[in-house]
Amino acid sequence: MTATNTFGAPVLSLLIFLPLLGAVGISFINRRNVGVIRYATLGVTLVTFLWSLQFYFNFDWNNQGMQFVDRLVWLPSLGVQYLVGIDGISLPMVVLTTLLTAVAVGASWPVETRVKEYMILMLVLETGMLGVFTAIDLFAFFVFWEAALVPMYFLIGVWGGPRRVYASVKFILYTMAGSSLMLIAILALGLSHAGGPTFDLLELVRQPVPPGTQALLFWAFALAFAVKVPLFPLHTWLPDAHVEAPTAGSIILAGVLLKMGTYGLMRFNLPLFPDASRQFAPLFAILAIIGIIYGAWVAFAQRDVKSLVAFSSVSHMGFIVLGIFALNAQGLNGAVMYMVNHGLSTGALFLLVGYIYERRHTRELSAFGGIWATMPLYAVLFLIAMLSSVGLPGLNGFVGEFLTVLGAFRANPIWAAFAALGLILGAVYLFTMFQRVFFGPITDTHNEHLEPLNLREILVAAPLLILMFVLGIYPNLVLGPLQTTVAQVLQMVGTAVALR
Amino acid sequence: MNSVPLNAYLVVAAALFCFGLYGSLTRRNAVGILMGVELMLNAVNINLVAFWRYLTPEHLGGQVFAVFIIALAAAEAAIGLALFIAIYRTRDTVNVEDINLMKW
Amino acid sequence: MVSGLDFQLFLPETILLVGGIAVLIADLFLRERADRETNLAWVSLAILVAALVASAAQYGVSESLFRSSADPVAPGAFVVDGFTTFFRIIAILTTIIVFLASVEYVRGRTAFRGEFFALMIFSTLAMTLMAGSTDLVMVIISLEFLSITSYILTGYLRGNVKSNEGAVKYFLYGSITTAITFYGASLLFGVAGSTNLYDIAARFADPTAIIGTPLMSLVLPAIIFLLAGFGFKIALVPFHQWSPDAYEGAPTPVTAFLSVGPKAAGFAMLLRVFAVALPEFTHEWAALMIGVAMVTMTLGNIVALSQTNVKRLLAYSSIAQAGYMLIGVAGVSVANIAGIAPGEGGAGLAIDGTAGVLLYILAYLFTNLGLFIGVIAVDYLAGSDTLPGYAGLLRRAPFLTVAMTIFFLSLVGIPPTAGFIGKFWVFGAAIQNQLFALAAVGAINGVISVVYYFRILKQMWYEAPADPTPLRLPGTMNAALWICLSLTLLIGLFPAPFIEFANQSIHMLGVFVRS
Repeated sequence: MTATNTFGAPVLSLLIFLPLLGAVGISFINRRNVGVIRYATLGVTLVTFLWSLQFYFNFDWNNQGMQFVDRLVWLPSLGVQYLVGIDGISLPMVVLTTLLTAVAVGASWPVETRVKEYMILMLVLETGMLGVFTAIDLFAFFVFWEAALVPMYFLIGVWGGPRRVYASVKFILYTMAGSSLMLIAILALGLSHAGGPTFDLLELVRQPVPPGTQALLFWAFALAFAVKVPLFPLHTWLPDAHVEAPTAGSIILAGVLLKMGTYGLMRFNLPLFPDASRQFAPLFAILAIIGIIYGAWVAFAQRDVKSLVAFSSVSHMGFIVLGIFALNAQGLNGAVMYMVNHGLSTGALFLLVGYIYERRHTRELSAFGGIWATMPLYAVLFLIAMLSSVGLPGLNGFVGEFLTVLGAFRANPIWAAFAALGLILGAVYLFTMFQRVFFGPITDTHNEHLEPLNLREILVAAPLLILMFVLGIYPNLVLGPLQTTVAQVLQMVGTAVALR
Repeated sequence: MNSVPLNAYLVVAAALFCFGLYGSLTRRNAVGILMGVELMLNAVNINLVAFWRYLTPEHLGGQVFAVFIIALAAAEAAIGLALFIAIYRTRDTVNVEDINLMKW
Repeated sequence: MVSGLDFQLFLPETILLVGGIAVLIADLFLRERADRETNLAWVSLAILVAALVASAAQYGVSESLFRSSADPVAPGAFVVDGFTTFFRIIAILTTIIVFLASVEYVRGRTAFRGEFFALMIFSTLAMTLMAGSTDLVMVIISLEFLSITSYILTGYLRGNVKSNEGAVKYFLYGSITTAITFYGASLLFGVAGSTNLYDIAARFADPTAIIGTPLMSLVLPAIIFLLAGFGFKIALVPFHQWSPDAYEGAPTPVTAFLSVGPKAAGFAMLLRVFAVALPEFTHEWAALMIGVAMVTMTLGNIVALSQTNVKRLLAYSSIAQAGYMLIGVAGVSVANIAGIAPGEGGAGLAIDGTAGVLLYILAYLFTNLGLFIGVIAVDYLAGSDTLPGYAGLLRRAPFLTVAMTIFFLSLVGIPPTAGFIGKFWVFGAAIQNQLFALAAVGAINGVISVVYYFRILKQMWYEAPADPTPLRLPGTMNAALWICLSLTLLIGLFPAPFIEFANQSIHMLGVFVRS
């Protein structure tokens, strides 16, 4: 099942630890050389991104197992290994992570205080995230999971907005609460394995857990992931964290960290606890639908652009969970596609909101109006990102939304009906926001002369916007490598349905 | 030869222990607390000697144990009184209710 | 009367005893010399290092001292086995690190520096004795020895009101709990008719001897009374009241020492006495531990939430940490301690509770001492031990701040740090013994602890300093900090050899298990 990597070298580990090595290197640069630190960090993230593309091009679409596997025995007495590999679900996540980190570093030029610590934390965070998306051993997964948590705490807490302390503590408490129960579940799962303790996911999947225990363990894992997603009603940390986080922090948070939750549901909950997954799927679907509607409704009422985008994330992440717990090929494919799309579109929206915030130092909707006239290029970019988020056909968002709703329809048509309602609400609040910011008369004299976008800002936003078109026209770039893995996951859950 | 049963000694020791514990928990004066502790230690000695006499008179273990307890009690009292003198010099009191700079 | 006295085995203790006395005498003669404190510090350090080497050299030895002449085969009053060696190393390492951190601090605070060093060495001696005691008399003496030296060290700043008060409170609580312990020991002696732990175990293992007699009703009180004494050293709820006051009042290096050394020694003694003398009652005392562990963790963490003095906060934090260690004691398998390898006939388990405790103590040693080096540094350089004193530490001492952050993460149990490995192991032991509720309570407590640990982090990272002058740590303190930091990360990243060390160290000489 496990294909060894074809290179004979730990290429994947190199990818995971490249940012960490970069962070070590940067720690030796004098803190006064701010420019050097910025360019060095950007360089490291770009190299990491290019290196991650290599995995995309060398990925074997038809291989059922993990590819590029690196294995190292860590704790022999417990069978704990450092075990990483890539399959169809991890592949888009890895590339998304490296891309968005590079974008986030590019968006961090305005950060002036403690640049060195900031950049080091960004790189440590990237290693943690890449580890989460590639770990196959549960112990290693947990290590990376927690390692990704701490840098984000400091990014929000030190470089965040006025209520950053509150937001950062709330963020870490919610996530820690979820993950500490997951640790207990990991231990229980690994130690109860017949034939000696192991934490290797591929081993554990082969041995079904007894139904009673399965439900308990399912919930322990699901809670940790649901907090991260965040699934209604565990979402309350998200708006605080988003609003207070610096722009780059928001991009990473919305683009990648939230996906750790849905990725975890797909990677661990479904294959490890198939019976419990089928049993609780309706419950999760309903919570997801509540999240979709609630997130959209509350987003509509927001007066701060950033918190509007944050609540839209709650709504969009609901679609992903709905797709996953539809437990069919369309749903799962749609969920992964949606994860990528949401990373691109919400990442772009946060980036663009950051641009205007740096010019005006406010994000109040009422402070804007008529921006189209003063910053036309900015308005066009914002429109593209927004349309992608709404799910306009031709842009990437449409494919993911269509597939998840289709999956939900095949599982239960009523779910799909409510999800469609969420789609409409999504269009309403985004268009309303766009209208109030960009059209109408200029009500505030500050908006009459805004500095146009500079080259750096355009270059940072460009890859996200280009990818929106590319994936909209040719979604198979993501869906193609996914098929084999999704089929395999569904086979494990026992609800395999052919895609076409 | 043993007209008094072992239980009688144990009951006396237990009573003495309880008096000592009660005294040490209720006294306000540090020296008074120390006296309560000494009572408890004497209860220990009665226990040890009685057990030795009734159960294992052929070994010296119990007696030796009791002698050690006496020595330890003396050492402890010496340290305790030294500490009381030190605090009396700075605070002019050995009443534990007044020794309350630090709480919770 | 006593034979089998092999001084080779007693070498670490001999070095500490002779060395401690030598330091005292040297202090007397060097009184006039200006450089005496530095010289004495280095001499004391050399004594400790020698004792450490002598202890490490006995790795793998399993022998007994002070055997009775009547029965030269049975183990005597003191044993040197894997377990003793482990705790000797822990005790001596603790003192060495505290020494390095306190050389500068002690200078100029009091007129009796030589005594300070000698007392620390004697405390170390008491802790090594506690680890190997296998006779109730020896247990009681070493326990009291450590108590007495700790009282004096706590009240070491004679003119300081807080130091006096801490010492008096420590002494009063201590003398009451030791009296209770002695009473428990006398009951155990009465029931089993011997002070030798192995004889006691043999009496309980023999079904014809005392099972069913009225004396048996005294066993459970004896266990609880003994636990009072060990729990006092470890600072378990409800024997913890002394610790916040003693921690806050004591000179900061002594606080660092108290938070690790006596705790570890208390665990050594608890495990040794219960596993050697009372294996027949494992169910009873393990059940007792579950309750005490839950209460200890929860109370320690909840009270810590409202503390503003960092030493006091860390006192409650270390109470909670002791609660986590106790999870491991609740998951003890006496079969593993007796040396029956895991898996053989289902006797042992893959994760052993005792190994969990040892691993946790090892992690805690470096983590907590590292943290206290920071506290000593701030106290010494900035003269503060309250939360606002830590404001903006990131700007004043960046390396110290990053190191302390890692120590806090380790205390919470976030990978890749030593604390995570320790927690993983004790939780694993609990789960293997089906103690899911205990593990869940431990996990929830971990989240509570985040709140108050991160309050200090918030001060260090987010707040602006009142006085932005950089703090420069003295060289010895820096060295101690580096030792703690590198080991905290090393255990976290490459735990295999340390786990092997802990697994090897759980074997106690001559533990009897009924098959």
